[in-house]
Amino acid sequence: MEVDAFRRLFPLRFHERHLLESIRPDGRPLGRARDTTIALGAVASANGSALAKIGCTTMLAAVKLEVMTPKAESPDEGCIVIDFHMPPICSPLVRPGRPAEAAPVITKQLTDIILSSGMIDLKELSLVSGKAAWMAYLDIYCLDADGALFDAALLSAVAAFSHLQIPVVSLNDNGRIVLLSEENSGAMWEKEPVNKEKRKLKLDTLPFSLTCVLHKNYILADPSAEEESIMETYLTVVLDSSMQLVSLNKPGGPGLAQTSAIQDCVALTIQRVKELQKILNEAISDMEVD
Amino acid sequence: MEYVSPEGLRLDGRRPTEMRQFRAEVGVVAKADGSASFEMGNTKVIAAVYGPREVQNKGQQMNGQALVRCEYSMANFSTGDRMRKPKGDRRSTEISLVIRQTMEACILTHLMPRSQIDIFVQVLQADGGTRSACINAATLALADAGIPMRDLVTSCSAGYLNNIPLLDLNYVEDSAGGPDVTVGILPKLDKVTLLQMDAKLPIDIFENVMQLAIEGCKAVANYIREILLENTKKLEFRRGV
Repeated sequence: MEVDAFRRLFPLRFHERHLLESIRPDGRPLGRARDTTIALGAVASANGSALAKIGCTTMLAAVKLEVMTPKAESPDEGCIVIDFHMPPICSPLVRPGRPAEAAPVITKQLTDIILSSGMIDLKELSLVSGKAAWMAYLDIYCLDADGALFDAALLSAVAAFSHLQIPVVSLNDNGRIVLLSEENSGAMWEKEPVNKEKRKLKLDTLPFSLTCVLHKNYILADPSAEEESIMETYLTVVLDSSMQLVSLNKPGGPGLAQTSAIQDCVALTIQRVKELQKILNEAISDMEVD
Repeated sequence: MEYVSPEGLRLDGRRPTEMRQFRAEVGVVAKADGSASFEMGNTKVIAAVYGPREVQNKGQQMNGQALVRCEYSMANFSTGDRMRKPKGDRRSTEISLVIRQTMEACILTHLMPRSQIDIFVQVLQADGGTRSACINAATLALADAGIPMRDLVTSCSAGYLNNIPLLDLNYVEDSAGGPDVTVGILPKLDKVTLLQMDAKLPIDIFENVMQLAIEGCKAVANYIREILLENTKKLEFRRGV
């Protein structure tokens, strides 16, 4: 029988034949992730943006800042709202009118992890205590869904926040915050700018993640969509740059993971975090050279 | 406000009959049967085509021809202020309908009965002319998917400000309140499939503006043909032909 037909009709046997040789259909060894690239500043109209690709999975993240009044119980803090979208272009399984099942799940996971990891100090988003603060809207669009959606989404979110530049604003006579653009910043020196210059957010530790699929006794790092659809269960580990565990997620599934499997996954994640940090730093320094 | 300076330059430095720079790429979404990205100046859109495939809603299945569906949506960050409702609002529904009817006119639907062709367009950055960029991207994506078509469909917009016909309006010129004529043509057959205009315009000036837009469409068509030719050569090379 032809290989393509066998792959479509008996996907489990096809993949297991490869696993016996400790290799995967695209030629990767079991513990290796796909090629990852990050491009910062992909959306010119946003305050911070990034395009992250892991293999074919593509995520476009953009941060837009709007001014709002902070809540009464935290007058010195801004706010971050994260939204993950899976538009119908990303996958043949997403139907228009019916949002993908994965989208709200990933939104919730991203929100929890970004807020709980302490990457961003919300006090940095404050403008005038009690009166004005920044609301950061982070929108992530999946442009191509080929497995490991959460990893790519988290990577693009972290890259977008690294690229974010807070614009210069000043308080005008009505007590409202007004954006100072470059043309009229010269004429507006009567109004005291609230922040002197465009600044970047001070990011504490950046969280990075790796999803591993657990199938019988095999652990496959960074699954593609085909592997995700036929394997038994998966485990997502999120570590921050100081190698502390931020989050672990194994959402049910028939495979019972022994603690040794979990430790193996954490070890694979530690390697992956080092790779991702290097890639992100290279992308940031490329931007600065420009 | 002056949209064309006395020297004849527009706000972004173009001449009145000059189009913005365009860039297209085929095969950007690996999972789709056909996909393309099209940029006209700062307007960037991605189109993905899935099909022909089985009809998802059996009640809509047509025995003699393929069902064509289209969805247009804008990213939240695509416009200057963040958009609240990127999909279900009236403008998006209208543009989805317009794109569907335009593409349906040129797809040979009778060759694929009882099937469905989905065209999804996502606007990543909007700076005027999103409708036209979407149609151009959809044409490329349909060609990439190998769906039989009568001809390419290309589209371009033109306007009339400060008594001068302008080609390919950007967002600032579009919101100036002057007329905005969007034209979609089948270039080889020399037929007009899409024609939309708003605001007031005297009839003789309308003829000029429409002709200008048609010239713009033909320029886009030449560019699209080059891109498809290059893409085919690459595929030939990869197959070792």
